[in-house]
Amino acid sequence: MAESSVSITHLDSMPKASVRAADGTAASSTLGLAFGSAEQRGDTLVVRVRPDEWYLLGDGAAAMAGGLDLSGFASTVNVTHSRHAVRVTGEHAADTLAKLCTADFGDAMTPNGAAWGNSIAGVTCDIVRDDIVSDDRTGTRSYLLLFDGSFAAYFLGALEDAASEFSLHT
Amino acid sequence: MLLVPCPNCGPRNAGDLSYNGESHARPDPKTCTPEEWRTYLYLRDNPSGWLVENWYCSSGCRKHFKIERHTLTGELRSAILPGSKPGLTKGETK
Amino acid sequence: MSNRLPAGEGEVLDRTQALSFTWNGKKLVGFEGDTIASAIMANGHHVFGRSMKYHRPRGGLTFDFWDPNTTVQVDNEPNVRASHRKLKAGMQVSAQNVWPSLKYDIKAANGLVGRFLTAGFYYKTFMKPAALWPKYEHILAKFAPGGEVDLDTPHGRYDKRYAHPDVVVAGGGPAGLSAAIAAAEAGSSVMLVEHEHHVGGHLLWGSEADRARATDLVAAAAAAGVEILTNSTVTGRYEDNWIAISQRNHPGVVERLIKARAKTLVVAAGTIERPYVFKGNDLPGVMTSGAVRRLINLYGVKPGTQAVVLSANESGDAAIDDLRRAGVSIARVVDALTGERIVAANGSKTRVKEVILDDGAKIKCDLLVTAVGWTTPTSLLNMAGDRPVYDANAARFFPAGAPDNVLATGGMVGDGSIEDLLEHGRATGELAAGRAVVVAHRLQAATARATAVVSPEPNYPADERTPLDRWPHPELFRASTHGIVDYSEDVSSKDLYSAAAEGFDSVELLKRFTTATMGPSQGKLETVNTVAVLAQARGESIADVGTTVWRPPYAPISLGALAGRINEPKRVSVIQPWHEANDATPILAGQWVRPDHYGDAAAEVRNTRENVGIIDVTPLGKLDLQGPDVSKLLSLLYTNKWMQLPIGGVRYGIMCAEDGVVLDDGVTARLGEDHYLMTTTSSGAGTIWNWIEMWLQTERPDWQVHVMPVTTGLTSINIAGPKSRELLSRLTEIDLDPKAFPYMNVRQGTIAGVDDCVTWRIGFTGELSYEIHVPSGHGLATWERLLAEGKDLGVKPFGLEAQRIMRLEKGHFIVGQDTDGLSKAPVTGLDPLLKLDKDDWAGLPEVKWTLESGDHPIIVACQPDDGSIVPEEAAQILRAGTSEIVGRITSSRMSPTLDRSICLAQVAKEFAAAGTSLEVLLVDGHRITATVMEHHAHFDPEGERLRG
Repeated sequence: MAESSVSITHLDSMPKASVRAADGTAASSTLGLAFGSAEQRGDTLVVRVRPDEWYLLGDGAAAMAGGLDLSGFASTVNVTHSRHAVRVTGEHAADTLAKLCTADFGDAMTPNGAAWGNSIAGVTCDIVRDDIVSDDRTGTRSYLLLFDGSFAAYFLGALEDAASEFSLHT
Repeated sequence: MLLVPCPNCGPRNAGDLSYNGESHARPDPKTCTPEEWRTYLYLRDNPSGWLVENWYCSSGCRKHFKIERHTLTGELRSAILPGSKPGLTKGETK
Repeated sequence: MSNRLPAGEGEVLDRTQALSFTWNGKKLVGFEGDTIASAIMANGHHVFGRSMKYHRPRGGLTFDFWDPNTTVQVDNEPNVRASHRKLKAGMQVSAQNVWPSLKYDIKAANGLVGRFLTAGFYYKTFMKPAALWPKYEHILAKFAPGGEVDLDTPHGRYDKRYAHPDVVVAGGGPAGLSAAIAAAEAGSSVMLVEHEHHVGGHLLWGSEADRARATDLVAAAAAAGVEILTNSTVTGRYEDNWIAISQRNHPGVVERLIKARAKTLVVAAGTIERPYVFKGNDLPGVMTSGAVRRLINLYGVKPGTQAVVLSANESGDAAIDDLRRAGVSIARVVDALTGERIVAANGSKTRVKEVILDDGAKIKCDLLVTAVGWTTPTSLLNMAGDRPVYDANAARFFPAGAPDNVLATGGMVGDGSIEDLLEHGRATGELAAGRAVVVAHRLQAATARATAVVSPEPNYPADERTPLDRWPHPELFRASTHGIVDYSEDVSSKDLYSAAAEGFDSVELLKRFTTATMGPSQGKLETVNTVAVLAQARGESIADVGTTVWRPPYAPISLGALAGRINEPKRVSVIQPWHEANDATPILAGQWVRPDHYGDAAAEVRNTRENVGIIDVTPLGKLDLQGPDVSKLLSLLYTNKWMQLPIGGVRYGIMCAEDGVVLDDGVTARLGEDHYLMTTTSSGAGTIWNWIEMWLQTERPDWQVHVMPVTTGLTSINIAGPKSRELLSRLTEIDLDPKAFPYMNVRQGTIAGVDDCVTWRIGFTGELSYEIHVPSGHGLATWERLLAEGKDLGVKPFGLEAQRIMRLEKGHFIVGQDTDGLSKAPVTGLDPLLKLDKDDWAGLPEVKWTLESGDHPIIVACQPDDGSIVPEEAAQILRAGTSEIVGRITSSRMSPTLDRSICLAQVAKEFAAAGTSLEVLLVDGHRITATVMEHHAHFDPEGERLRG
């Protein structure tokens, strides 16, 4: 439990774009994915977080958003500063979140690659489970939480408080 | 807490959604009488039995949908997204 | 005198760990593993406190979680269950409901005047006259049960957890353990919840073979991966198996509430031994057979020296064996199965002394043990919709049917050997696991993000369990005398008889009138006796009387556990660290923490009016709107017209709800052909986002508009004052010439080196002002640049209070402050903005009818004739010389600019004309006069400053 317990990292400046696109548009078919899933494409994590909304997360977000064909009914908004990201990772990541969130963090209901909206500690979040991350922590349980950045101080405090019964690394 | 079957997300805790009450059609604002408009605003059937009502998946897919709920047993059925199928209105069962 | 027995095989004590504690100030010693009550009993004390109403001395009755008579104060914690709470070294334990001491209790005089405290005394005695209530309350408070609450007690830490087990098993006796093991072995994730400190149930105080079996079951459960929660209670079952579990043994917290969504719930709550109702049944030394078995076998405590045992079942017979083994002499066994009965018990103040039998015999004793049958604690099944039915042959209630995802097993559903109970539990666990598989499959198949299901849905397993037998048992509820039915509420069978005679003869009414079954044991010991006594009083059968519906909680739960961890979300802008470092006084506005002022709001107003001020207005709601139909959407939601707004234009609008009441207001800018930026009030941001989505999705699904909240993404700073143009010009290349960038216009461009900023000219404060919206990663730096660049211009920050003063000087209303939930749009007086010629907008019909009738209050500006008086906000405006309310002050401040008090008010139409004198009632009762002004704006009504 010691080393791999749970760690919480605030990724406040990670580039993020939101793409809204109706069914049948070029942007929708380019981005693809099933609603509720996420996929790493190069240096960008693509998340279909709502039936008609994708997040592009990571250094390639702006380029990928800029390269989309927005004909039909599609639009993008840079949400780098609106939505902050926190990564909760480690053996007790799910146990920590289960103290603040009603979601079932088991493999059947939220497998690696699952993405969904849920309230955590009273803050509306979009949650992405992406166990395989770009550094060497391959396979470690990991959640990327996207939330309104104005909650950051409160939200990190609530997460750290919930994690305090485990071995916390910030 | 009820599990509400969101047509996009699947079953979710009722607390994850917003409840928008009984489903009533909006009268034409240009031609309606005060009585019709205020029936739309304020009068609810509140039946003991099946009721068509509006829910909003506010923390999930952010979609509005209608669902039938049995007010006595809490049973839920026939979730409908607006636009995807003919919408259920008051008194209708699928 | 020590009542501690030599060490026994099954005891839960660690006799190497002696624990010192005090009982009513006296130093005593117990062992690790003792409950507080067992330790006190072991030290020769057997009176734990006094009863709630009559202040009768009480000894332990059941010596388990439900014991109603051993509630004590521990340190600064009142109402501790001494028969459940484990002893800890250093505890200071004292009796409750005693004054001045346990031995000499003055309030015991209540016992002498007991007739005044009969059924329903709450409702009758203190009813009239109402004026005496404060006195009654004062007296009643002294008699209120419970310990002393120390208001200085530090807040405990409570916690919460959500769980999604396949199966929750409520009850850790043999059947529950067997069900949990079978379910886990079938592949289910299982939580087993037991309210005592050990699982094993009655096996724990049974024979050597029983104890060995308990040990094996616990090992099997652990091996199967069952999550065992001891000292925890399933307190409620709600829709779709939403299960509340109160966990009292989690490290680091006082109590933790687990909210579990179980696919199947197995209820294995066992049976609870029923007390017997007779005269003297609450004397210390009268207890159930289970109580003596637990005291002797678990805690090594000798419960008395000479016993009478009334036995109708094998539990009584086992108690006799235990007592003999413990060296207690058996003065008499009263065999209920052969028709022998007891009539009454007599005692001293503190202990039973003799028992009177129905043949007239009087038997001396200091212990009376009763074994008269069982109550089925069906609460969790009731909560699932079950309505249990009484079986006279077995003398107890049995479940009659719950939903498919709730299964009962064990003593609740029948009788049998240990093997029978284990087999029924095993079959139940398998069934629970099989049904959980189907529920899991359905959940997964219906959930987009879940792992895809590949196999077809398994068959839903039918209930093919072999039912348990029901063993016959005599119906033993009340002797020929009256006694206590509800120990914790101090309700006697006589009270129930008289309540029934008064007409409270339905069991639900009787319960509420007498409070029987409503105490801390939540009816577990009392309900069936209450029903039986009522049946006797009505001359009917128990089945005819029926039972009360058991509701949550199964057992009391602390308010702390229900509250859980305190999570109150707070929001701040990226400039908040600067505000804090510069002595801003914070104010909580909705969820936002904002600077109210930096020391002197009036000075901030004067500086802004004379030089230039900047305010952090980031909390202003901001929505990015894109799509070809945005202008139609704006026309639908705002009351005014939007189809002709040019690119680069900004317009103010009011939004109404469908009842015509003002919902929100703000300005919206057109940034591009199909691109707009809308602002809302800070508190309205979330509401308006949902409002727009609702209209787009349900009423206008064919319109193409994308809405994205960007409130936090843009740090918003308002630069206001005559020198604001000069200040902003130092940071941007945007042409600020009034001809190039007039009032109510928007420009996009670079500010302080930051691209993609939006700047608009608006005038909430009434000054020339620019509101800049900067990507919030650069918000703090931009704020600091403005202060640095404007030093020579006298730039100073201002807070929310200065802004509120300036907008009031300018006569701008605030939604929710100057309007309320009844204020339809015409109340604002902004009739030119209410476009009745548009086809449709939210709230249009109500606004139209209100305007047509002309019957509505209206917002006016007014000034007290004595400019030194600031009437309170919400002060009433009265028709002169009367008490008829004709309006109210909605906003009021001392104006630093005009050096006099100024107000906005809502008044009836007839008082709205300029020059009308208003009579204002102050909170202190004085009346002052104020005069209605010609314009809403007290200052610069022509708007020359902001348009300059």
